[in-house]
Amino acid sequence: MPRARIGNRIRRLRFERGEMTQEELAARAGCTRQTIIALEQGKYVPSIELAFKIARTFGVTLEEVFQYEE
Amino acid sequence: MSYQTYRLWKALVVIIVAVLVGWATPAGYAWVPLPAAAAAVVIMLLIRRGVREVVVDERIYDIARRAARMAFQAGVLAMALVGATLLALSYGDYPHLETAGFTMVYTAAGLLVIYLISYACYSRKLGGKE
Repeated sequence: MPRARIGNRIRRLRFERGEMTQEELAARAGCTRQTIIALEQGKYVPSIELAFKIARTFGVTLEEVFQYEE
Repeated sequence: MSYQTYRLWKALVVIIVAVLVGWATPAGYAWVPLPAAAAAVVIMLLIRRGVREVVVDERIYDIARRAARMAFQAGVLAMALVGATLLALSYGDYPHLETAGFTMVYTAAGLLVIYLISYACYSRKLGGKE
C-alpha cells in the first residue's frame, strides 16, 4: 500500500507575498518559527486548526496550501 | 523579550536550581529542593509572559506527548523486568533483594493503573465512548 503524505506550498506562498518571513507567518498563524520550518521541510503535519490559520494568513483556501498525496 | 533571551533565562534558571539541589541535598538541607522547584516554576511562568513570540504550540505538545509515551513504555517495561528479576533472585541466594523487587513491580503496576485511569478519562472527554 503506497504511503500517503501531506505536502504544502508554504515556502512558495511566502515568496509570492513579498518574501514574508517565517517569524511573521508564525506570529500571524499563532505558532513557533520552528513549526514553520518543520512544515516547510515536510517533517510535520499540522492540525486542521493550524492548517486553517496558515491558509487564512495567506488569504487562500486550505487546498491551495496543503495537498494530500497518495 | 525575544525567544533567544527567553531560552537563556530558562537555561540559567535550570542551572541555578540544579546547583541549589545538588548542594542542598548532600549538605543535609533536604527541604530546599521543593521550594527551589516551586520558585523556578513561578519564575519560568513570569519570564514566559514577557516573551513576544509564541513559545509553545501544538508541535511542542506533540513532541512532549511522544516523548512521554516512549518514556512511559520503556520505564514501565524496564521496571517490571528488573523487579521480576530481583524477586526471582530473592527466592534464591539473595533474600535482601525482595523489598527492592516488590517496590519496582508495584511501582510499574501503579503507573499502569494511572495510565488506564487517565486513558479512560481522556477517552470520555474526547468522545471515544460508543
